[in-house]
Amino acid sequence: MNNFESVKEGDVREFTTPEFTRTHFVRYAGAGGDYNPIHHDQTFAEKAGLPTVFGMGLFTAGVLSRLPAEWFGPENVRRYAVKFSSRAWPGDVVTCKGVVTRIYVDGGRRHVDLDLTATNQKGETLIAAEATCRPWK
Amino acid sequence: MAQINPPGFVVERGKIHEFANAILDDNPHYHDTDAAKRDGLPSVVAPLTYSSVASYFTDRGGPGGAASGLDMRYVLHGGQEWIFERPIFVGDILTAEPGASTSYEKEGRRGGNMKFIESEILYRDQKGEIVLRGKSTLIQTGGVVAS
Repeated sequence: MNNFESVKEGDVREFTTPEFTRTHFVRYAGAGGDYNPIHHDQTFAEKAGLPTVFGMGLFTAGVLSRLPAEWFGPENVRRYAVKFSSRAWPGDVVTCKGVVTRIYVDGGRRHVDLDLTATNQKGETLIAAEATCRPWK
Repeated sequence: MAQINPPGFVVERGKIHEFANAILDDNPHYHDTDAAKRDGLPSVVAPLTYSSVASYFTDRGGPGGAASGLDMRYVLHGGQEWIFERPIFVGDILTAEPGASTSYEKEGRRGGNMKFIESEILYRDQKGEIVLRGKSTLIQTGGVVAS
């Protein structure tokens, strides 16, 4: 899993999620502890003027975190920062993409900066994020 | 709903497995102790966003939450940042404490003032050392958040 030696600026990786379902949101609610009914209760969502429930931002942030974690190892991610732009809905298929923006040495360790995005099938950005990876020891 | 606030948040293998499945990530370092050890880790490692579990289990309402004193009907979660001093492993016992907090106002795109509240939570391990700094940005809007 050591990709620190071979990686180059401009390198790109991406993956596409399965179609998001309400069950994905419910499973994340249980695992993560977010029981806000806006994410699982259709009646509640409709009363709030929404067509249906929508996914937690932290669910999509978690899904997107697979990109740096898989590329460099989860233990080697120093920083992960997300900005929430749009909501994820049931039926969305999300493309998670990462681009290496900078490689540098700090404290004797090679560091890799990534720009990350989670984009739905309409091309809308759900999350724009950044990560910095370096060998954890 | 009764809420139990244990003195520390224990990082458990089964919960990590469940959480990693929920974020659709089958990385062996989250699921397989032997695989993690083969790669030089002491045990299974927690996913990057795993601290959100601790925040929901130790206060009410998650990031910001009721403890922030904000009216959550008018609040958007704008962003979240995790800065790791080291990875979080199974067996770690985390305690959370509030760190620095700042706020500022900006003119919203659709008019009205928006207040940004940036707050930090420091997570310490069983030795009292900081392992993770979590920063969240909450945005308080002038009215009910419609979209």
